[in-house]
Amino acid sequence: MTACSRCATPVEDGDLRCAICALPVPIAVAAVSRAPRAQILRCTDCAAAVAFDPAVQAPRCAFCGATMKVEHPVDPIETAQLRIPFIVDRETATASLRGWLGKRGFFAPKTLRDEAVLESFTPLCWAGWLVNATAAVAWTADSDADSHRSAWAPHAGQVSLGFHNIVVPASRGLDHGECRLLIPYYDLSQVVAVGRVDGEPHAGPADARVDGAMDGAMDGAMDGAMDGAMDGAMDGAMIESFDAQRSAARKQVQESIELTAKVRVEEHIPGRRFRNVHVACLLEGQTTDRVAFPAWVLAYRYRDVAYRAIVHGQRPEVVFGSSPKDWKKIALVMFGIAALIAVIAAIVWFARRGG
Amino acid sequence: MVVSERAPTSTFSCQRCGASLAFEGVRTQTCPYCASPNFVERPPAADQPDPAFCVTFAGDAEWARTRFERWLGSRSMFADSALKRATVEDMRGVYLPAYLYSAVARSDYTAQIGEHYTETETYTTTDAQGNSKTETRTVTRTEYRPLSGRHIGYVTDVIVSASAGLPNEELARVEPFDLRQVRRFSPALVSGWIHEEFSRDADACKRMSRGEAVDEVGARLRRFMPGDSYSDLVWRTTVEWESLDPMLVPVWVFAVRYREDKPPFRVVINGQTGRIGGRAPLSWLKITIACVLALAVIAAVIYLVHQGQQP
Repeated sequence: MTACSRCATPVEDGDLRCAICALPVPIAVAAVSRAPRAQILRCTDCAAAVAFDPAVQAPRCAFCGATMKVEHPVDPIETAQLRIPFIVDRETATASLRGWLGKRGFFAPKTLRDEAVLESFTPLCWAGWLVNATAAVAWTADSDADSHRSAWAPHAGQVSLGFHNIVVPASRGLDHGECRLLIPYYDLSQVVAVGRVDGEPHAGPADARVDGAMDGAMDGAMDGAMDGAMDGAMDGAMIESFDAQRSAARKQVQESIELTAKVRVEEHIPGRRFRNVHVACLLEGQTTDRVAFPAWVLAYRYRDVAYRAIVHGQRPEVVFGSSPKDWKKIALVMFGIAALIAVIAAIVWFARRGG
Repeated sequence: MVVSERAPTSTFSCQRCGASLAFEGVRTQTCPYCASPNFVERPPAADQPDPAFCVTFAGDAEWARTRFERWLGSRSMFADSALKRATVEDMRGVYLPAYLYSAVARSDYTAQIGEHYTETETYTTTDAQGNSKTETRTVTRTEYRPLSGRHIGYVTDVIVSASAGLPNEELARVEPFDLRQVRRFSPALVSGWIHEEFSRDADACKRMSRGEAVDEVGARLRRFMPGDSYSDLVWRTTVEWESLDPMLVPVWVFAVRYREDKPPFRVVINGQTGRIGGRAPLSWLKITIACVLALAVIAAVIYLVHQGQQP
């Protein structure tokens, strides 16, 4: 595997540009077409001219309608090569959902827990990148150190940080907000290679690793992991494809690393209190693994309206989603508040009039 | 289906705007950029760079026309009324030559950072009876503190036009392109479409790209400043590891004729995202009438107020 000459990030098959710094990946001269100008392409079936058709994103013969496959797939669809196993089984996930429905608060319908009908129950392995990189991080912040008249004083600095096992969502099925709620609860030490069947020994880092990625991040992490893990849920679980290629997901990776960097630089800011922390990262040597993260996606119906909830695939207590509101209760509370304000206003008015 | 390749086809040069376009399987009598009929065939230019990447069209001419009509319908009330009867002359999808730039940017900056604080101050006021009295109030003041430091980062995805027919300012109006969909260039991707030759030299495009990169760094620095406010932000940016790669980007170019006595105006549509850049001509008659009406209303209000104050 070659590395990007600008930032030392390993270049992977299919990368058009570096995943970090966007430096174009050089291709072998022989592979480059030396014909920059438009060419007449002719269908040898019917000899008609062929033109690129935006609708099919490929050249199509206008006469016979045959579609030509464009050379090589320059941006192949990625799939996960590692996965984190399911620990939460179907029954536990159902119980978690019922428990969650019962704790929806005062404004939820009373009968929600009992009347909600579970419609579908899908084990989903959503796609994410596991990123490791080093970065020079420049930061600015306000802190109470060296403050004068104001309680805050500006500070700036630069540190070198290593980022290990940063999870960057690449899911189509879950939105990134949902993924971020799930991420903190995954045990990344349990990662195994996709395709490992139950009963096989768990993949060590060398087995699980893709192309030598994940520099030492998981070394030794597999020892003793997954004892008693429930992996049957993988049967029939949908493993997502990635919604963008790694090299195209530069912005998501950068944002995720900057979010982490903002927390990590706090220890370098002088003083005890700080605010307005800003970071700028120059990433280098990023390695990426494609991992499938387990979750249960549940669709339930309450009084003819469909809702969705997510149960974490490893921690049954992590449940979130949408749920119905009892609008009668909300209206009653609002009416009560309005009545209370009216009563207070009347008391104040009478008190002033009496005075 | 098997596909064979042939030699490049006709190259035309516009004598008005200077664009050089290659045609294949397409015929036109006028320049797609400026609708000039002074469009002559000439041999292809030598030393053309090989495009490294290409962003492809996302829709056909109908897709572009729908967006154009929607855009035309949403023009301001001051747009020339003749636009409603405007005709589109020679609507063409063109692969525009451009350069894709990226670099490492390191910037040293200095600034004055404003930090708010509150103070209680005493002031003297006069009440309704004419008595002066002393009161206190809380006021917010700003303390400025110097800050200097370094900002670092990659500047990527800067695209500048290498076209003689469509200057960079016009391309910037329809940017950005979604570079997640960028492809390695292949002649098959542009077959059946017009594409312009690279008309600007790489050095000029690099200078232009560098300028855009430094502007981007400036925008980042403004977001990077701590405090409640800042002033006197000055920075010096050094760009390293620059890369500049030729590419083709898709645009729809319309020459819109709306009056016989006026030259057509140009509308550009991003062929990938549908974003439109163009300035619909205004009607000076409408603007003058609106100004006169506004002045008349103001004069009437002043008159009425004045009348009301008289005993």
